[in-house]
Amino acid sequence: MASNAQDTLPLPAFDRALELRELLAGINTERLAAALRQLLGAPFALCAVNGECLVGEALDTAICRVPLRAELETVGYLLVQQEDDAPAAATLIELLLQGAARYQMASTLHLHAVNDDYARLQAQHSALLESEARYKELAATLEQRVAEQLRTIEHTRLQLYQAEKMAAVGQLAAGVAHEINNPIGFINSNLVTAQSYVSDLAEVVECIAQGAAAADISAVMQRKDLVFVLNDFQKLLTESSSGAQRIAAIVRNLKGFANIDGSDEEVADLNGIVRGVCNIVLREITRHAGLQLQLADGLPATRCRPAHLGQALLNMLLNAGKAITGQGTITVTTALDDGRLRLQIADSGVGISAEVLPRIFDPFFTTADVGSGTGLGLTVSRDIITAHGGDITVHSTPGQGTVFTILLPVRD
Amino acid sequence: MADLDEQAHRLTLKLVYYGPALSGKTTNLVRLHDLLAPELKGEMMVLETKNDRTLFFDLLPLGLSAPSGLLIKLRLFTVPGQVAHDSTRKAVLSGADGVVFVADSQRNQAINNAGSFENLIDNIGRVGQDPATLPLVAQFNKRDLPEILSEQQIMEQWRGTPWPVLFACALQGRGVIETLAELLGRVYQAVDPRLALGKDHGLDQQQFITGLLGGSHGQ
Repeated sequence: MASNAQDTLPLPAFDRALELRELLAGINTERLAAALRQLLGAPFALCAVNGECLVGEALDTAICRVPLRAELETVGYLLVQQEDDAPAAATLIELLLQGAARYQMASTLHLHAVNDDYARLQAQHSALLESEARYKELAATLEQRVAEQLRTIEHTRLQLYQAEKMAAVGQLAAGVAHEINNPIGFINSNLVTAQSYVSDLAEVVECIAQGAAAADISAVMQRKDLVFVLNDFQKLLTESSSGAQRIAAIVRNLKGFANIDGSDEEVADLNGIVRGVCNIVLREITRHAGLQLQLADGLPATRCRPAHLGQALLNMLLNAGKAITGQGTITVTTALDDGRLRLQIADSGVGISAEVLPRIFDPFFTTADVGSGTGLGLTVSRDIITAHGGDITVHSTPGQGTVFTILLPVRD
Repeated sequence: MADLDEQAHRLTLKLVYYGPALSGKTTNLVRLHDLLAPELKGEMMVLETKNDRTLFFDLLPLGLSAPSGLLIKLRLFTVPGQVAHDSTRKAVLSGADGVVFVADSQRNQAINNAGSFENLIDNIGRVGQDPATLPLVAQFNKRDLPEILSEQQIMEQWRGTPWPVLFACALQGRGVIETLAELLGRVYQAVDPRLALGKDHGLDQQQFITGLLGGSHGQ
């Protein structure tokens, strides 16, 4: 680490060979010199191996020259102008040097260890800083990532709801196709008959145009049975017209389910919505069930999304139809209940068991075979009711039937 | 690393006694100091705390003059074994020419031995040396105690490693010289190619070992 390198000077090895100068570094040489002078009572010198005098006075000649040893080697000499006390003084000095060596080695080693510990702490510290920065960054982006996830989930949910809507509408397709095919079939056949009637009439008109005698014209009219033709022509036109109206009505009701996502709020009549949905669903569910409408008169109109409410009702009617395995009835009731609109869908079907009942509004919960339902029908219905500020409750008795009760606020 | 001072005509070799706390590293040095009779033997420098635990190191200097006149200085160091002193251990290990790993033979010390040996291998790398080439011998100490791993168990564990295993009872002085002799042979072989102790200084491996151990040791 750069800062660390600036803080610490390069350390010498703790076990390097120490010269006499270094060994004397921590010792007060003036007091040492004074003490030796007093002990020896003669001039003396402490010299390094190269002859340099470090303590005492430089002596050109000496009576006695004692080597000073540290560890195994001579590190210097004691020169004295007398010889009696020199060996003892040298021993004292060697002991002093030993202590100095011990101190220097230990202190240098200690510094090495401290530097090393410091470097390890620095490394640890920078690793911690790095991981702290990582966590900070993670925390900063966490919110964004959660938002992204939420967007993905919401998108998927919308796709699933769309799939659910398509499934519900798809179930109706067969029935609706039959509803439309039937009037188209008889309108078509009526038109073919009408064409032959027109050619009969044309023949009579041709006779008149050629100035034929009244008796001849009458004969042709007789032969063509024009009285019947005109009568029947009128009838089949009336019949075709009512067929076309039936198709128009079916298409009008279907339009309620088209473009659900873009549908706007409008003030609508709940009974109208119920009738529209029942018309569409009639054939699909009345194969083995009777559908009864008990719609209260004079319900206040309310601001709502009719297409959405229609889908909610459609889902519940289809469910009711599936619940009836043999013969049974579905009763749809509307009423004003303590200032709120009440819509009830009751069936005499198999009912829902107590274990299953709390889960029926859960997304993807289905008792149908895999692939035959999305498990979102009731979830979507509940979401629509909740979005309208309403409540949906269910009451069921296994073997007897199920009643869904929807309460909606009346809004201007 | 073997430190050859041409000017002072001196070669310094550093051997380090490494191992877990209380395995007997200092005792090895104390017994060697008592038992060896080399040409040169210095005072043993002991730096210990009050409760007999090594805080910095111990140092035993031994010396031998080669026929060429080269002074060969052998410095035996111990490290503090306690886990907390790792930085000190690393600093003492730095520049070693050989290592004795002193393990405690007692069964309940197996984990400490393993931890310390792993630490030794780590530190050899951290001071820039290669565990594969640095001369190293293992000594299982305290053979006189009960509840120790048998020699067979230990040899089984160390079979497949490149390191020789020796057995010792340092307190009684058994095995300490053999351990040092084994390491000295390996150190000689490691440094001879570079320093030419035999060729230039007239000192073969046997003379090197005998001279540093002294007397009849190492024969």
